[in-house]
Parts: sequence; C-alpha cells; structure tokens
Amino acid sequence: MAEQGLEGSQPVDLKKHPSGIVPTLQNIVSTVNLDCKLDLKAIALQARNAEYNPKRFAAVIMRIREPKTTALIFASGKMVCTGAKSEQQSKLAARKYARIIQKLGFPAQFKDFKIQNIVGSCDVKFPIRLEGLAYSHGAFSSYEPELFPGLIYRMKQPKIVLLIFVSGKIVLTGAKVRGETYEAFENIYPVLTEFRKNQQ
Amino acid sequence: MPICNSCKGKTFIRDDITNNLACSTCGRLQEYDNLVDQYGGINGPTGTFVSVGTTGSGNVYSYKETKIYEARKLIDDVSLRLGFSPSESDDVKRMVATITEGEYGQGNWFNVFVGACSYVGMRRDNKSLPISEVASVIGSDAYELGRMIMRVVNFLDLKKPNFPEFDIVNLFERTLRNSHSFADVEGDKVQRMKKQGIFLIHCAMKWFLTTGRRPLPIVAAVLVLVAELNGISIRIEELAKEIHAVVHTSKLRYRELLQALVKVAQALPWGKDITVKNVVKNAPFVIQYMERKAMSKLSKKKDSEGGVGLDLGDVVRDCLRKDIGDGTDMMSFEDDSETEMEKLKLAHQSRYFEAEDGGCALSVDNVDKLKLSHECLSMMYSKFLDEVGNVKSSGGLKEVRERKKRRGFELHACTEWWNGKSALSRRLLLKEILEKDVGLDVVPPSFVNGCVTVKKRREKINAAKLRIDKIMHPLNAHSGDSIDTCTSEDVHTTKKRKRARGIDWEDLIIETLLLHRVKEEEIEKGWYNVLLELHVFNSGIV
Repeated sequence: MAEQGLEGSQPVDLKKHPSGIVPTLQNIVSTVNLDCKLDLKAIALQARNAEYNPKRFAAVIMRIREPKTTALIFASGKMVCTGAKSEQQSKLAARKYARIIQKLGFPAQFKDFKIQNIVGSCDVKFPIRLEGLAYSHGAFSSYEPELFPGLIYRMKQPKIVLLIFVSGKIVLTGAKVRGETYEAFENIYPVLTEFRKNQQ
Repeated sequence: MPICNSCKGKTFIRDDITNNLACSTCGRLQEYDNLVDQYGGINGPTGTFVSVGTTGSGNVYSYKETKIYEARKLIDDVSLRLGFSPSESDDVKRMVATITEGEYGQGNWFNVFVGACSYVGMRRDNKSLPISEVASVIGSDAYELGRMIMRVVNFLDLKKPNFPEFDIVNLFERTLRNSHSFADVEGDKVQRMKKQGIFLIHCAMKWFLTTGRRPLPIVAAVLVLVAELNGISIRIEELAKEIHAVVHTSKLRYRELLQALVKVAQALPWGKDITVKNVVKNAPFVIQYMERKAMSKLSKKKDSEGGVGLDLGDVVRDCLRKDIGDGTDMMSFEDDSETEMEKLKLAHQSRYFEAEDGGCALSVDNVDKLKLSHECLSMMYSKFLDEVGNVKSSGGLKEVRERKKRRGFELHACTEWWNGKSALSRRLLLKEILEKDVGLDVVPPSFVNGCVTVKKRREKINAAKLRIDKIMHPLNAHSGDSIDTCTSEDVHTTKKRKRARGIDWEDLIIETLLLHRVKEEEIEKGWYNVLLELHVFNSGIV
C-alpha cells in the first residue's frame, strides 16, 4: 500500500507506462454508508471542524488534517469523502470520520466503502493543436473556446473524460480505479503526439 | 355579517360604478377584501367573476395557449434583437417546439433556452453568433447559456458536419459588417480591411493566439489593428464594449499580436529597431513581408530542395520603394519625414555599413538564412536614400508634406503595401494555414509560461539542495559563500514584486520534499500539495 502511495519516487515502469509519464492523482472521491440516522445539528454543535448551514446545504461539512480531506455527512447516514490523494488515504480518512461520528454517540458503521471518482493530471511537455484534435476526433471531442479553454475528450474505453489544454497539460477524471486513469492516458498519448506542435 | 371600517355600521348599499359595497350610514367604500356573505338569495348580487386564463372580453384562452403565445412573442423579440431574418426566427421556433414537444415554456429558464436555440441555429448554418452577444440580449450569464447550449446540442445529437466548429473568421467578418464603428467606412476600404483582418486572424491562429482562448477579444484586437492601418481611429475599449468582449483581455490580445509582429519584424534589416511601441508604424512592411513569405512555396521544401523561395531583396526594395511617378511615398505615414530620414541615416551609418564579407546574397530560401550581408543592405539602403534625395530636390517631398496634414495613415499608403493576393487573405482550412510560412513559428503563450515556471522551480530546487548541503556538510561549504548563492535567483520576476532576500514558502516546501527524498522531476511539476500528502503527511498509511 505504501508503495502505491510513494509511486512518485519510484522509477517509471515503462511496461506499465510506455509514454514514460505517470499521471499524478489529485483527488479521490469516495462514499461510505454509516448505516444510521444522524442528527446533523447535534454533530455540528459537538464536533470541531464541522460546519452546518441547512439553508445552504443539507449536510455537515467536516474536515480533518491528516489525511487532509473534507467529508459531507448527510442525515441519512451517507457520507462523501473528498480531497484525498490516494485510495488508501481516502479510506483512512473515511474511517476517521466514521470514528468521530461514533464518538459523538451515533451507532455508525462502515458499510459499502467505494471509490467513486479519481482525478489525475499530467503534462506531456509539448503544445497541442486543439483545433486539429477536435476536427479529427470530432466524435469524442468537444472544443468550445467560447465556453472553456480546453478540449473535452470523452473516451469510451475506459470511460474517462480528459481535459486537454493547449499548453500540454492534461486532466483525467471519471475513473473508479487508478488503472483506468493510466490506461486512458496511454491511449490518448499517441493521439496527442499527432497534434503536437514542434518546439523551435 | 360585515361591519363598516369607519362607523361600524351594518347596512350597506352596492356602489353602481365599482360594484363594491358602500356603507349606507357614512358612505365609505369598503375595502376590496372586505368580503360579504351571499345575501339576497339566488337573485342577490353575484359579484365579479374572476377566472384564470381569461383575457379580454369574449376570448377565453387556456393556460397552454397563453403560454405558447407568450413564448412565441419572446422568440420573436429575441430574434429581432439579434437581427435574425424571418426564416431564421422560424427555425428557432421550430427548434424550441421540437425540443419541448410543442409545450414551449415560461420563466427565466425559457429565455436562456431560446437564446441557446438561437445560438445553435446560427451555428448549424455556419453563421458565427458569439455567445456573449446572445447572453447580453437575453440578460443571462454566458456560462449558464453555454450549459444550455450543450444540452440543446446533446438533445438534438448535433455532430460535425451538421454542427460545424466555431469559425473565428466568420465572426470577424460579421463583426466588421455589423459594428457601428465601421458603419461610415467606404465599401472598398471595408473589403480591404476584411482581407487584411482575415490574413491577421490566420496568422494569429498559426501563432496559437486563438487556441484555447475566447475568440471575441482577438477579433477586437485584429479589428483595431486593421482599422489603425487603414487610417480609422477607434479605441479598443469602445470596440470591445460594443462587441461584448472583455476590455482587458482585448488589450492583452492586441499586445500579444503586436509582440508577434515585432518578432516577425526581426527578419527585416531594421528589425532590431522595431518594438511594440513602433511596430504599428512598421506594420505595413511587416505584413508585406509576411504576405510574401506566405505566397512563397518554401514552407516544406526549403531544406530539401534548396530552391529560391523568397527574394528578400525584393521585399526590402518594395518596402523601401518610392514611387515618384504618382507622388506616393511609403514614408508618408511618418509625421516628420525629414527627422525620420535622419534617424534612418544614423541607423544606416551605425549598423548597415559594417561590411563583413563581399557576398551579396539577395536571394534566400530560409528565414534563418535571411541575414543579408551588410554590404548588400547598405547598397539597397543607399539606393533608397538616393531616391529619397532625388524626390526631395525635385520638390516631391514637399508635395507629400503638403498632402500629409493629418496624423495617421493615408489611404493610398495603405493600398500600396497591401496587395491581398496571399491565400491567407481567403478562407482556409487549418491544415492549409499551418502549411503557410509567415516568417514566425511560435509556441503558445501558456506553454512558454509553463516552461518558465518549471525553469524557476528547477533553480529553486538547486538552491534548496545547496542550502541543505551547506547545513549537512558545513566543512565543505566555502567560507566566502554568501546567502545569495543559496537562494533562488529572481531571474523571471523583473516586473513582479522583488522578493526580500531570503527564502519564501515555496523554497521551504521544496526543501522539505527534498529531505523526504522526493524525486526532483516530481517537484518540478509543482504539485506540492499532492507530494506533501504522499511523502510528508502520510503518517496514517501502513
């Protein structure tokens, strides 16, 4: 587990990442069911680092420092944990939140933990002709410079959305496991090289 | 039983005009909501019958019909304000009816929806209508409208080629045609401006000035430059406001365009003297040079064939040409031609007279090979000065000066340098644009900024390594080293706030990451939060 977390410091495995670039995971969103009804007002009054404004949002927003994450806790007992940088951190954070709820006197359990979304990003280090990419991959791409500066590429397999910017920066989102993010990037990399702008 | 609000009387008579109750004692007209029981039996007064959906006398519309009527009225109104033709307006109505299955709609969302359908309809017909313009007409946010547009596009399953990509050239033409600022300009001048503008827009596309950017500001920038070149005075702020572009961004794009022209101008013999401040005056030469480059066939074959693609001698000669016959003068754009000539003479003496070799290679086939021999340049320049001298002695310049009373460019000066024969002045596909050589090939500004940031981080990493090394091995550290050698240099912060000597938060984070043995390539990427979480604050992970 620790190895996965420290992947950044390991040499790049070219079999797994033929492009030589490993997308960095920026955010993991997970959900868990605490399996009990919660009194959000009581939680907000008792817990530190918790905010609750029912007029604005119908959940308690709770934060912890390690792992630095934010949780949305709903009265139904469902919880969403965001901001973790790895799957393990996300699970650990969710457990910590469940423990906090338990300590506040609710019979919280830890059921159905699931990673819902993984966001990764990387830099291919060359400029990309977005117009050309949008033209030749029109079925998957949406490039509307009036609305958004990047090209939105909806990959079918794996089902990942990529935001591709002219500067060569890429954002990959929609994965349930990190392998999908890596696979999507390896799929798109040869396409991007077709539309690279050669540097002078 | 109702009681009079004034005298507490209990007897009322009905007022003939308003049909309301009036107190029989004091005569006070009772409040509208002072309801009364039904009295008088079945033949008693019946009051006013109020029914939802009734308009006028004799016409009883249902709720749905009223809604559709109002919706159609709104569509007509929006179409009118967007300047649509009746057929275009009908298209919008058809689209709205199709999507809502004939139900139309009411409320704020419907305005946005009508705006989105208007945009999609125009875009489907390859007529560029900017989102900002639609947003301003319907009084909505561009992003909200954008979301609705995407929903409409997805619902109708519009794909290329039925839904072409946004065409900035179309937008430019539309803006030039519709803008109030150019309403008084003569037709042939507008045509010339159009060609020049398309040429510059294509160049901007090639230079990545349009990629990933909103099209309106660059259109505003090109229009202002073209207007300036054609002697039309217009402020970028006014034009940007008129076409709903962000003023600041438009100014930024204008500056970027000028910077690109300055880079192109470096190929000209006097290119070193051209800066952003004076490039507009030199723009005719620069654009003429670009046009000639674009018309030459050297783009791909230059190296392999070594053919002669562009004769710089011609370009320079044309740029410096003085047509005495019809009395036109390329120098006429300058306020004081005498002063300018003195300047040019000085430059000529100082720079172009330094003959190094005897070769006079006028014909070149590559931008990199455009460096003419100084002797050759001096020859051309001397010829130019002689010609100017002749005109001066024959009184030609006097005529020119008399003719040139006002500041700015003269129309004939504009026509002289612009021939508009380059393919870049016409509609081209992206591929064709990229194949053309306009004397400059650059990478996107965002990419350049990214490279600069990485370089800065690399310097910080090196500085942090030095600091760590100094602390870990104090004996190895040279006694003469000052703290300056250990702090990152602010090479790229010339315009930014000068940092006080010492280290900042970024240096400290880099130090921490280095001490946790994070790879330097990872640190260079700059995602400090992720690295800190994974390598520094990973205490809970087992």
